[in-house]
Amino acid sequence: MPGRQIYDPNGFRNVEKDGKTAGFAFKFKLQYYRGITLSIIRDIKVKIDGEDIPRENIRITVNNETFTLEETRTVVSSLYRWEFGENAEITVLKEGGLTAGSHHLSVLQHIAPSYMPFPIQSMCETDFKIA
Amino acid sequence: MSADIKRSVSLYSYQDEYYDGKLDLEGCLRETSKAGAAGVELLAEEMIKQFPNPILTEEFRQKWNGWLEKYSLTPTCYDAFLENRIYDNRTLSLGEQVEMMCRDLKLASLLGFTSLRTLVSTPLDVIEGSLAYAEKVGVRIGLEVHAPFSLNSTWAEGYMDLIRRSGSKYFGFIPDMGIFCKKVPDVVADKWRRQGAREDCIKLVNDAYEERVSKGFVKIEYDLDLGRANMNYRNANGLSDLTQKLEAMGAGPADLGYLNASYTYSWSDPQDLIDNIENIVHVHAKTYHTTKEYVETAVAIPEVVSALKKAGYQGYLSTEYEGGESLRDAFDVDGIEQVRRHQEAMRRAIEG
Repeated sequence: MPGRQIYDPNGFRNVEKDGKTAGFAFKFKLQYYRGITLSIIRDIKVKIDGEDIPRENIRITVNNETFTLEETRTVVSSLYRWEFGENAEITVLKEGGLTAGSHHLSVLQHIAPSYMPFPIQSMCETDFKIA
Repeated sequence: MSADIKRSVSLYSYQDEYYDGKLDLEGCLRETSKAGAAGVELLAEEMIKQFPNPILTEEFRQKWNGWLEKYSLTPTCYDAFLENRIYDNRTLSLGEQVEMMCRDLKLASLLGFTSLRTLVSTPLDVIEGSLAYAEKVGVRIGLEVHAPFSLNSTWAEGYMDLIRRSGSKYFGFIPDMGIFCKKVPDVVADKWRRQGAREDCIKLVNDAYEERVSKGFVKIEYDLDLGRANMNYRNANGLSDLTQKLEAMGAGPADLGYLNASYTYSWSDPQDLIDNIENIVHVHAKTYHTTKEYVETAVAIPEVVSALKKAGYQGYLSTEYEGGESLRDAFDVDGIEQVRRHQEAMRRAIEG
């Protein structure tokens, strides 16, 4: 299919913790033209199969380090930028994770580059399967 | 003084290829050279991972200088971002912003750039506070004049005062050729068509744009609240009236989306370049769509180049391809070909 790929097609998975399925994860790229400090992420809103995920249940991982969205507010290190063209992994805490089969995901990337008169809000939708 | 207009490419132009992993930084430099440009403009935060750390290492700079030599490229302009709202609960203090600007000036000089692009959101006093350092490292600060801003306006006046007051040659302007659009780019209308915009609504928006071009735009005012500055500007140029007209026609969100998009382009008289030539540091040669016949469908390249020749411009025109954002929802973007065509269109205007 022509057009830009936002999600990593191989990135969808359930996440195990302490022998239980604690949630699911996916990988996607920033919809902007340069890398950013995580501090300018204003929000990442996740809706899975029509269900809104509470903000506190969302984690973002870049360069092998994981942050809550509350924590990203102060992350300005060069080590943990969301680099242009690179995936960040989003983990959603959701007991039991996702059932095997098809799912619909919509995620809003909301960032606020300092110079923009209005923040950038990119809605990223996809269908995917959990094996 | 007779003009000496050279061509450069901003690596912004290859963002889709970079995003897809088709080109890395070296690949972008190779394509820039292949397109016939003599200069290169860099957005370090776009293509240098863990910004700014690598730039501070001898190892990276050796690699960078090796590429410049290999591809016969001169570094022209370094695009800085002055992230003065890096925290969500406050704007950085004046001192912190000057410190950030000086950091960026230093990074630019380490990579051999002689000018630095700063954005329209840069407060006057941050530039003033950085001038001595700019002079010390030999990098001129250029304030981008991006649509809907313009030279010869009350917005530019405060910055002009600074130039006069300081007598500094290290501060000037970088006009972005998006301020010389005679039409809304065709790829933009096509994108909104795909979203469902109606032909009669598109026509209304296009006619209104062309009317603003012929009558002259009401200019934007200096205001550090850019959202407010933009809304005042849009309404002064007929946005609310046109919104009402579209609503009366039963327009939908795509029609209104196209209307709002049309306000991100503007038309200034190319005479503005002649009037301000002494303070023009560099030029962003914005392009949205260049046809196979080497015609830019919105930007008035011939008029702009003619004005720069008349004024004796000595610097670079740096291709900044931005059409990809109107295509990538449905098509693969070919920034390489668009840059090639645009460089050729500029070459013809410059040499013709």
